[in-house]
Amino acid sequence: MYFRIIKKDLKRKKTMNVILLIFIMLAATFISSSANNMISVMTALDTYFEMAEVPDYWFLTTDSNSTKRFEEFVNENNYNFKSLDLMMIDSNEIKLDGSKFEYSGSICISGLKNSIKVFDSGDKEITSVKDGEIYITSALFNEEQYNFSENSRIQITIGDKTKEFTLKGSTKDAEFGSESIGTTRFIVSENDFKYFYDKDTVIMNSINVYTDDEEYLDKFYNLELNTLFNLDKSAIKRMYFMDMLIALVMLIVSVCLILISMVILRFTINFTMSEEFREIGVMKAIGISNRKIRGLYIVKYLAISLAGASIGLFFSIPFGKIMMKDVAKNIIIPNQNNVVLNIVCAAGTAAVVVLFCYFCTRKIKKISPIDAIRNGENGERYSEKSIISLKKLRFSPIIFMALNDIFSGLKRFIAMIVIFILGLLLIIIPENTINTLQSDSRVTLFNMAECNHVISQELLFISNTDYKKVMTDKLNNIKNVLDKNNIEAKVFQEATFRMTVSYKGKKESSLAFQGLGDVTTDMYAYLEGTAPQKNDEIAISKLVADRIGANIGDTVEVKNGDQIKEYIITATLQSMNNLGEGIRFYQDEELDYSYVNGCFGIQVKYSDFPDEDELNQRKALLEKVEPDNKIFTPGEYIGYMIGDISGQIGNIRNLILALVLCVNILVTVLMVKSFIVKEKGELAILKAIGFNDSSLIAWQTIRIGIILLISIVFCTLLSTPLSKLTIEPIFKMMGAVSIKFEIVPIKVYLFYPLIIFVVTVLAAWITSFQLRKISAFEVSNIE
Amino acid sequence: MNIILDVKNLCKTYIVNKRQNNILKNVSFTVADGEMVAVMGPSGSGKSTLLYSVSGMDSITAGDVSFCGSNISKLNAKELAALRLNKMGFIFQQMYMLKNLTILDNIILPACQSDKINESRKETVQRGQKLMRKLGIIEIADNDINEVSGGQLQRACICRSMINRPEMIFADEPTGALNRTSSEEVMRELSKVNSEGTTIMLVTHDVKVAAKCTRVLYLVDGNIKGEYNLERCPSDSQLRERERLLSNWLMEMGW
Repeated sequence: MYFRIIKKDLKRKKTMNVILLIFIMLAATFISSSANNMISVMTALDTYFEMAEVPDYWFLTTDSNSTKRFEEFVNENNYNFKSLDLMMIDSNEIKLDGSKFEYSGSICISGLKNSIKVFDSGDKEITSVKDGEIYITSALFNEEQYNFSENSRIQITIGDKTKEFTLKGSTKDAEFGSESIGTTRFIVSENDFKYFYDKDTVIMNSINVYTDDEEYLDKFYNLELNTLFNLDKSAIKRMYFMDMLIALVMLIVSVCLILISMVILRFTINFTMSEEFREIGVMKAIGISNRKIRGLYIVKYLAISLAGASIGLFFSIPFGKIMMKDVAKNIIIPNQNNVVLNIVCAAGTAAVVVLFCYFCTRKIKKISPIDAIRNGENGERYSEKSIISLKKLRFSPIIFMALNDIFSGLKRFIAMIVIFILGLLLIIIPENTINTLQSDSRVTLFNMAECNHVISQELLFISNTDYKKVMTDKLNNIKNVLDKNNIEAKVFQEATFRMTVSYKGKKESSLAFQGLGDVTTDMYAYLEGTAPQKNDEIAISKLVADRIGANIGDTVEVKNGDQIKEYIITATLQSMNNLGEGIRFYQDEELDYSYVNGCFGIQVKYSDFPDEDELNQRKALLEKVEPDNKIFTPGEYIGYMIGDISGQIGNIRNLILALVLCVNILVTVLMVKSFIVKEKGELAILKAIGFNDSSLIAWQTIRIGIILLISIVFCTLLSTPLSKLTIEPIFKMMGAVSIKFEIVPIKVYLFYPLIIFVVTVLAAWITSFQLRKISAFEVSNIE
Repeated sequence: MNIILDVKNLCKTYIVNKRQNNILKNVSFTVADGEMVAVMGPSGSGKSTLLYSVSGMDSITAGDVSFCGSNISKLNAKELAALRLNKMGFIFQQMYMLKNLTILDNIILPACQSDKINESRKETVQRGQKLMRKLGIIEIADNDINEVSGGQLQRACICRSMINRPEMIFADEPTGALNRTSSEEVMRELSKVNSEGTTIMLVTHDVKVAAKCTRVLYLVDGNIKGEYNLERCPSDSQLRERERLLSNWLMEMGW
């Protein structure tokens, strides 16, 4: 008997049941695949690092004295370590299949001896490289613009030596494989490495230390080595935050989808119950227990949930693979297809749905048989009250009815509002993140002043002991060319050092910066305080200040090369360099430039406010002045430095947009169909008194349109604080304490809402055509 | 007198479970301007179907229905809706109104939708209030529909049916859900409306209601079995006699 009732119910409400099934299926697919991916990625990093023998501490140095001192130190302390020689390659001297290789990131080359373990694209360890063969990191290999493929010909020139290699494949390289590290590694045979090796060649040492000594870091800082950077294992792990970010975004999408599924489910159950009040009443009146009536609904939803979860489970495996495709390019992900986890998640989804149904059906207990038979309306009371009046408003009756429906019975539209808001937020938050990541002002987070163009500079630091003079001449040369072309501009560049800063016995190694050329310290962004104005003043990153316990106004000691000098902290700054490091010196402070360890691109800041055409012309001029280097906008330059995460998030945003549109269409179809069923009587009355189909279709459509507009307004109000709430912690992990979100109003408040609006309203309009089937004659059948 | 409704050979057939049910079989009659026609007959005889078929609310299977010169069987849905909005008024047994509108808003809704009468919203409201005053329900204008009695609600439905100054009002058992007092009030108002020139066709089971009409059509098994003409505007003293005569005639018809 029960199963016959359920069978009939499933048939009778086919459309609604199918839509509910689709939602459960989608929720199960996303939850299973995303949870699987998240857990896989989280555990994968640990497994991958273990397989690759990633050290506990890793640092890079170009200073041979520092290397020697460190080797003595580790021998005294019996630390286990590996020292790998690397050589920097000028990317201008690389040819790919005979053509110039246009790459602006740093590239180094090494053999495999003393390296951590690296793996090929099939996750097999690369144990040897034959002479004439070369491997490159997968992050670079997979960049579409270069068209790398196996057997590509790569010609490398270092100094006066040139050799052509055959590209054997890509590597999963735990240390140099993350896009955030900024340096990519080519691996060649030991013989080929030795071929390039020359006493005049600048060698960079990659030193990996394996120790569980908790005092290691203190001892290391006391050595006051000149390093490019030093990271512990957790910091290396954080370098993969971009890969994790993608998985995290998908997890948030999944959570939102299950929320949407729950809202839909609640609506459907309440709707079903209000529609079946009479049947419920009759069942109660003839003595069927609440438990059994409730059981009827639970069994029905259990059947739908199990079917939806099973189909969702089936789709979750290929979907998960698609999602992991990008993540698995750079790291080894063991057990990518954890079917057991998929099953657990799908079953969990079904269980949550049934549990939700159980709570929703509590209402059955509360209603008396007679209330139920009267369909909840005993002829003396109606829940909906008129809020606005036709006599006061000048709207057409259709708009009036739509508005009055919403204001007099907002509760029944809440589900829709929640779903529309969630959907729109899912698009706007990644969009805000992309715009923030792509914005030109992002350079200020990397210890750079705002500018209009950046000219890539990669190798000047390697051999120039007279770096300051060489660079200053270069800056002057560019400025002269611009002057000759009547372009007034400031031309400057950041030189970087590795220095040790100490305060009251606490020491910290940090990246330090000084602007060269036409730049002053007040051109940079600070969190608190004022820009250094004297030689003995510095600004310091919040992270470094916190670590040594210093504040603005405190005097700290900074070691630059062999020189130790006291400086007063006048400001704090935020820095995304090396996850939060940064010390800024006054522009006239005399630093020992023999210890310079790197540089950023040459920045050009125009004094006027050129429009886009003018900027393009000036870019062309700079390209003539610096033919070997690339010219970027500041946003592009940062993308080049840390990898194009915004592109990846952009792809995901497009996926989410398609998903949200599908969800909105499904929800709208479901809701409008439900409303038509529920309002059949009113529609028949309106038809009887002379309202035509198009007016009634407009009524239903306008109502959805208004709901959508309300949702858009709420979403607009919520999007910025929620963007901050979700994305700021990720930026904080990277050292950016306070992020100013870059919001593109046309995109965020117009473009995406308009797409959603048009598609959803169109879905409502088409679905409303169903009311044409209702005849005015049916007014006589109203119960 | 002008013929406002001309029904010729009207047939209405439903097919249920592959079985053909002929509800109306070649029904022909006319309604003249200013008449008040009652349709009576046993349950299932097709009274309501006839009312809905001739008013264009339901489709017809065969025959011709001419209303104010328009053959409604040839009109499309949009034209039929316009006809219902501007030239017809409807009153149902249940007092169907939109739940979340006030009484006055329900009454003026068709007028706001129609462009038949060129007037401002304020004038529409005033007209609605005038109608309500006329039917003695002005005090419930701003009430919600759950706050008034059945009789008041049905009188509000009469106001709604009249708001667009229709040529004819169709009423399906307008007093069927009312008590005796309310029923008499409603019929008094309908008679008044009719005496002011509005044609009315109503379906009823009540002899008292039918006795207030000018003509009674008696329907049996989808056919008009008989027709009974009455004089207009009987006084209360004459009414009792008319009811008796009508009852006798109905008995003859097999009532």
